[in-house]
Amino acid sequence: MLFRRYWRDAWRAAFAITGRRALADDIAADGFERAFAALGRFDERRPFGPWLHRIVANRALDVLRAERRLSDEELPDLPDLAPVHASGDRSLLAAVAELSLERRVVVVLRYGVGMTPAQIADVLDLPVGTVNSRLARGLEQLRESLEVEHVE
Amino acid sequence: MSSELERRLERLLAEAPEPDPGAGEEALHRALRALQPAASARRGIRTAVLVFAGTAVLLAIAAGSLSAAGALHVSFGSKEKPLPAVRQLVLPKGASGIAAIVDGRLSVAIKGGFRLQTAATAAALSPHALYIAAGIGHSLVAMAPNGRVAWTHPVRGRVVAIAWRPDGLQIAYLVRRGSRVALHVIYGNDKPGSDRTIDRSVRAIRPSWRADSLALAYVGAGGGAIVYDRFHQRRHLVPVNAPVTGVAFAPQGDALAVETGNGVWLARADGTQTVTTGAVEAFGWLDNRLAVVVPGEASALLRLFTAAGFPRGSSAVRGVALAVTPKLVVVRTAQSLVTGRTTLLSVPRRASVRDLQVG
Repeated sequence: MLFRRYWRDAWRAAFAITGRRALADDIAADGFERAFAALGRFDERRPFGPWLHRIVANRALDVLRAERRLSDEELPDLPDLAPVHASGDRSLLAAVAELSLERRVVVVLRYGVGMTPAQIADVLDLPVGTVNSRLARGLEQLRESLEVEHVE
Repeated sequence: MSSELERRLERLLAEAPEPDPGAGEEALHRALRALQPAASARRGIRTAVLVFAGTAVLLAIAAGSLSAAGALHVSFGSKEKPLPAVRQLVLPKGASGIAAIVDGRLSVAIKGGFRLQTAATAAALSPHALYIAAGIGHSLVAMAPNGRVAWTHPVRGRVVAIAWRPDGLQIAYLVRRGSRVALHVIYGNDKPGSDRTIDRSVRAIRPSWRADSLALAYVGAGGGAIVYDRFHQRRHLVPVNAPVTGVAFAPQGDALAVETGNGVWLARADGTQTVTTGAVEAFGWLDNRLAVVVPGEASALLRLFTAAGFPRGSSAVRGVALAVTPKLVVVRTAQSLVTGRTTLLSVPRRASVRDLQVG
């Protein structure tokens, strides 16, 4: 039941961060594996979901950072999201893809997974102020990108 | 502006797709494997806490919930059998790496101390075991000897077989999607745009590269052995009279060994000949000799041939031959995979073993 209850959310969190189905499959599965293996260290007074999200989000970030370090390039866009939005908000999708990894993660956890800034701060082990700052800067960058596109 | 932007973001990200059911099943399997040994190790302490203090720890919730869902039956105090796992993995003397998939889990040991165990559908060591490529989830993943993921290449389906080119520059891999299996080739560094489909319909049998890296042998959907000339981009069918169950190019020259249900054939530029008839336990190239292990009355028999097809002796094999690697013949006994007197892997009695390689 634990698995069935949280699998979809964990997968969608992984997908929201990576934008790639295959990576989301691996990262969400890996997150559950790690979570179940570490149940002995889990504080049962706290909810399971945020703890799992924390594992999944950090795993996704590790994988993306490793890719970026290895390829020595900026992260690719969100390829598996693009077909979904073939007729939708492609300009916004492109703008999201251009965000730095740190800003993109905060934005997708807030608006894709529905976490509050406090929950994101807990998941990413950051001060709430930093999360709010990244959110604000991320939104600002998105707005600028959309405005530039509109002008062009 | 911001609130409108936020609504647009929510709409955009809400359209994210749902996970594949298959991915969920695999993840559940992995999660349960992770749960079980941990539960066993802590059982004594947890039981005491549960029984005498009545504290509902999360482990109990998890186990109870999963049991109720029909996914796992855990009862405290009962003796659960440990899940299958490789208990021993030994790097043979002179080898750079060893890899095998046992019950769906890849075990790797590479010279220098790197060890890895992870769920995988296929695996192959690169030349000199500098890297390992594995099918993990819906990806082809290349890992460096220190365990770092060098790259992850998404695939539409599951990777079922992998073969590195002898010069290490490309990887041939098979992807199963539904009932169809396709043959792809990709650069060993996952160079963007380098993934090419060579044949859209093949059999799920590991392909084999020629020593000069210019040709690739595989088994077509019709069961015929096909040699794809990479340089001229031409294919030709190897003339054998039975469905092919395995192909292996010699480590030097252009001889190709072809296994069928009726024996082993040897194909060269000047023609094709039969080298053994009847059932085959394992075949491959051992020190540039074609090695074929055939079942015998008392014990299996290892028969050796030159690349030209001339017999070069035979010897008895104790156990069931599992694989012929460039330097070793690996035999399966009740719970071990051995070569000579050396135990390479200890595995559960009924464990499935595949993609065993010693490089």
